Amino acid sequence: MIHLGIDIGGTFTDLFAWDAEASGSARVREVKVLTTPQDPSLAVMQAIQSAHIDASQIRSVVHGTTIATNALIERRYPEPALVTTRGFRDVLEIGRQRRRHLYDPYQVKPPPLIRRSRRFTVAEKLGADGATVVPLDRGEARHVAEQLAELELRNVAVAFINAYRDGRHEREMRDAILEVIPDAQIALSSETRPKVRELGRFTTTALRAALLPVVGDYLSRLEEKLAQAGCSAPLFIVKSNGGMMSADSAKERPEELIASGPAGGVAAGSYLSALLDAHSLIVTDVGGTSFEASLLEDGVGLVADETEIEWERPVVTPMLDIRSIGAGGGSIAWIDDGGSLRVGPQSAGADPGPACYGRGGTQPTVTDANLVLGRIDPTLGGKFRLDLDAAADAIRTVAEPLGLSVLECAEGITEIVSENMAMAIRSVSVDRGRDPRDHLMVAFGGAGGLHACQIARSVGIDRVLVPPFAGVACAFGATTMDVRHDLETTFYAAVDAADPAELTRSYTALEADVKALLEADGVPAADAAVERTAQMRYVGQSYEVTTPVPAGALGHADLAEIADAFNAVHEREYGVASTAFPVAFVTLRVTGTGRGHKPAPEDLAAAMRIDGNGAGSSVKERRRTYFAGHHHEVDVHDVERLVADQRIAGPAIIEQPDGVIVLPPDAVAIADPYRNVMITASEEKAA
Amino acid sequence: VTATTTKPERQLDPITFEVLRRSFEYAPERMSQVLQKASFSPIIYDMVDYSNAIFDPEIELIGQTANCPVHIAAMHFSARASLERFPLAGLEPDDIVILNDPYRGGTHTPDVTLTMPIFYRDDLLAIAVSRAHWTDVGGNLDTHIGGEGLRLPPLMLYRAGELNDELIEIIKNCTRTPQYVEGDIQAQIGALRAGRDEMLRLAHKYGADVVKEGMREVLDYTQRMTAAAIDRMPDGEYEGVDYVDSDGFSDDPVHVRVKLLVRGDRITVDLSASDPVTVGPINSPYGNTASAIYYSLKFFLSPDAPPNAGLYRQIDLTIPEGTWLNPSWPAPTFGCTTASSSKITAAIWKALAQAIPDRVIAPTCSECNWFLASASDPVTGELHVLSDLPAGGWGGTPFNDGMHVTMDPLGNCQNLPAETAEMLFPVRYNSYQMITDSAGPGKHRGGCGVRLEVEFLGRGQIITMETSRTREGSPGVNGGGNASRQRQLRKLAEGDVQTIGGLDDDGNWYPQMLGNVGFNPGEAFVFESGGGGGWGNPFERDPNLVLEDVRNELVSRERAADIYGVVINEALQLDADATANRRRQRS
Repeated sequence: MIHLGIDIGGTFTDLFAWDAEASGSARVREVKVLTTPQDPSLAVMQAIQSAHIDASQIRSVVHGTTIATNALIERRYPEPALVTTRGFRDVLEIGRQRRRHLYDPYQVKPPPLIRRSRRFTVAEKLGADGATVVPLDRGEARHVAEQLAELELRNVAVAFINAYRDGRHEREMRDAILEVIPDAQIALSSETRPKVRELGRFTTTALRAALLPVVGDYLSRLEEKLAQAGCSAPLFIVKSNGGMMSADSAKERPEELIASGPAGGVAAGSYLSALLDAHSLIVTDVGGTSFEASLLEDGVGLVADETEIEWERPVVTPMLDIRSIGAGGGSIAWIDDGGSLRVGPQSAGADPGPACYGRGGTQPTVTDANLVLGRIDPTLGGKFRLDLDAAADAIRTVAEPLGLSVLECAEGITEIVSENMAMAIRSVSVDRGRDPRDHLMVAFGGAGGLHACQIARSVGIDRVLVPPFAGVACAFGATTMDVRHDLETTFYAAVDAADPAELTRSYTALEADVKALLEADGVPAADAAVERTAQMRYVGQSYEVTTPVPAGALGHADLAEIADAFNAVHEREYGVASTAFPVAFVTLRVTGTGRGHKPAPEDLAAAMRIDGNGAGSSVKERRRTYFAGHHHEVDVHDVERLVADQRIAGPAIIEQPDGVIVLPPDAVAIADPYRNVMITASEEKAA
Repeated sequence: VTATTTKPERQLDPITFEVLRRSFEYAPERMSQVLQKASFSPIIYDMVDYSNAIFDPEIELIGQTANCPVHIAAMHFSARASLERFPLAGLEPDDIVILNDPYRGGTHTPDVTLTMPIFYRDDLLAIAVSRAHWTDVGGNLDTHIGGEGLRLPPLMLYRAGELNDELIEIIKNCTRTPQYVEGDIQAQIGALRAGRDEMLRLAHKYGADVVKEGMREVLDYTQRMTAAAIDRMPDGEYEGVDYVDSDGFSDDPVHVRVKLLVRGDRITVDLSASDPVTVGPINSPYGNTASAIYYSLKFFLSPDAPPNAGLYRQIDLTIPEGTWLNPSWPAPTFGCTTASSSKITAAIWKALAQAIPDRVIAPTCSECNWFLASASDPVTGELHVLSDLPAGGWGGTPFNDGMHVTMDPLGNCQNLPAETAEMLFPVRYNSYQMITDSAGPGKHRGGCGVRLEVEFLGRGQIITMETSRTREGSPGVNGGGNASRQRQLRKLAEGDVQTIGGLDDDGNWYPQMLGNVGFNPGEAFVFESGGGGGWGNPFERDPNLVLEDVRNELVSRERAADIYGVVINEALQLDADATANRRRQRS
């Protein structure tokens, strides 16, 4: 009875397996294999093999994938088409007419999701009240369908102005296309995400049309391979909203997979939150080229209603609010025209990689800085031989013009990159009205523990946690997920003027739909938890905040309560609120969750528990390192040999199988019984 | 990677400097987030027509946000005017001064500026400034600034913990949109406080002296980058001319004539040869003109340097009083921020085309096309006020085509989404679509303009629209061609179209400055924005790119043949032989 979590990243495919029937630490298996970009399902099967898992014993598979994101970034999908209202052919291309860089004369915008020659218009128009202004011209609709057929376009987005109010014209258009192209895959904006403001709804619908064949083909291929290997377990896919859905749902709603990759890390954070009874967390993940930060409140990741996936390409499905910046081990240090030391966003990537990899890289990177500072093992645990001289030579190229020693400069590079990472934390906390100092920081990623203390200090966080599975956090998180669906409908009405009975009816209809989705994903109605929220704003405003709404039949007293709750949320998110302005509903949302086939936290925790008796020291060697302008001889500990409640005072280094934890002077680490390393990063005045 | 040749005089270590440099960008970013999210008027929250900035105690710009460059340098003059009227000695923490007078550092009158000193332990640490375009402060096209609506001198808005309610009552009495006033003031105050909190966080962490040293060094840093860029330009005198089609009260074009004198690492911008003060409202006060010059040059001097006052130190300005680019009271100025600023940019870029032909880009459409309209509800009669700003194309560059439908350099505002407009106002948006053949042709063509159609359900009115580029489209550079002209039209309920501004099909030209133009129910205001100018000879454009443009209906087959010399058959296939022949014959 094995539960599998699988995460496909750019370089590695991670597997985390939990075997309820094994005993002790054998219950848990972690594997990393190289990703196979031409067919990512190959790496999944390889990972299962190298973990020595008998496929027939698998009880559930939960899979996080960047396949949708990569297809989007590279525009690698069967060419889609758009049919839209006459006069609005270019919404997808114009965006909101802003430029990304204020003063860059040579900038270009990202190419449109669907090129202009594949964007068609028809005469039709509904008013903002849903009334017919111009009926759909059926002859023209038929003509467009024939053009689509002639061009052999099969995946089609239909997105009409004001269709958030009513989808009848879009449905008529779909019928017209299906008459001519019976096997067309068609996404309607009124079904994809019926929310007001055309750009977000059109973009989301175009994305669904583009991804339908990509995600459909991939998941079918993966299901086939799993079945061939003898696995009959249900396949679930990690969604952008932090929950999961069945593979069948994912084939129909592929646009909900855009943040499927990193969402597993947030789920892992939720699991830790419950395990440690810590409610407010900031979860970070350091990779080779990017740093990601997200915030959990009461154990639940903050969600954004609208996310710009590229410049002026907003997707309006609920997505975990994960802020990503280009900063990681490969980030290059350089001196700009004004003589200032900068780090990133350019990265040496995997090829040539940092100078110390000896593959021809000559530019100094963050990894080179950490190496010369003695913070990473020059043999990477015996796997590799890093070139210390090459790293020092590379850093010298920036140190000398600045009048710094190589070590001073290397430490400066780590401080600057940590400061950049801290900015991502500020943006996910301060920018959303949360104080980072109230949170526990969790560091994922092999390099997560390298800079965690510096980053925490910069934002004023004093507690940092590095869990034992930090290197496969997303795959681990996948095994702890719930099924989750968010459904929405536009309901524009001032609270004063809203009819509570009509509001209740709208919610009840959404609740029925969401329960049907959950049931289709294997969640019996009795096990489904359903929660209402509304996106609301002051009348005349255009930005909504998500406000909780009580369950059951709503009355006038509930409306007043909802308005109060809105003011409280608005105050927190934006720092201001006013009872002088009337409040309006814009979008109603119902979130349905159902517990997945996940292992009980207490069982998983027991498997993580340190069983050993602590015989022998955890210190594997001593190493010369450099902190705050001075050399230190420090202990290098093996995380696997720590005993529960062991206390390690900085400066020190703790090595994990896939990563490193750096404890600067003044920081103190304690290993908990679950092999989590809890660090107190003591406040120290910077620079 | 190049290190600077001269070693800068520095007290901060490079790491602290870099952290502060980034933090000076973050503070105004925070201000803008708060302002956008908490504002109540569509022009702020949806169209993001505002700017926020942090100044040092000497009122030098330290950091700004990326919305309206034209606001930024003028803020220096408004902050100075505010603190001259209310000296620091008499101010308390959190006190706020308000003003919008174009002759005291304002831009056009709807731009309202709030200024707040930030004190750290009783010493002035910095000054936070927030300028936002309010939907309306009254006024219309006029020949006297007294007719351009409410004009606030520096006044205390918030003092010793109290809002000046009487002042707010006056403001609400003088606008067509009183419902937005309190919300927008609240949002701008929220922005100033967010900026204050960030600056105080820095002072707390590093000490006020280090923060101030950081300010000094970040100014020097931008100055160095600017000086190095000017130094790379060949010394010489370069000239550029552009014009506004008319001032609205005569039919004569009004010219900006720029002379750039590049000497070593300094530039002098001389506008002496420009036309005199005009009767109609396109005069640009000194602060507005200075802003336009600075941001126009920044694109080619130091786009990556922190946007601060260090840029200004390498640039000398000669803008004689009495020209329309340095007028004095009571000359009207309503169109200065839109039609006037963008012509200064185009004239400067044309001059730069002589200095750095391999790096300059062709002028953009050179208009922001902001208009203010009223629309009455056909059932209740309630009068609504809305505004929008349909952008034009950008110019072709040495490396690629210009962007389609993108806000002019003077700002970076968003259009009003059709669905938002129809939800909030008694109008129908019937079109917001790119115009075929609107882009200036070139080896790298300009971007396309857009056709906007706003239908009024009840009675409608264009209250004001200050724009231009209706006589000629934006020019190309290095052999590139002109873009399309802009046009203002009325579409009758039956579908017939009349020209109300610009050239009609018979070659008659109608004045393009609109004031109080009425529309009957069912009639629509149609605006066609221009494209960007082309870069380089269109005959050198890759025929496959022309083919792609034709397939995308951005360029017609006729124009592909005539202007680009590229022959494309009815099946939309490239005729390579005919193309080669055609290009040979014409070259």
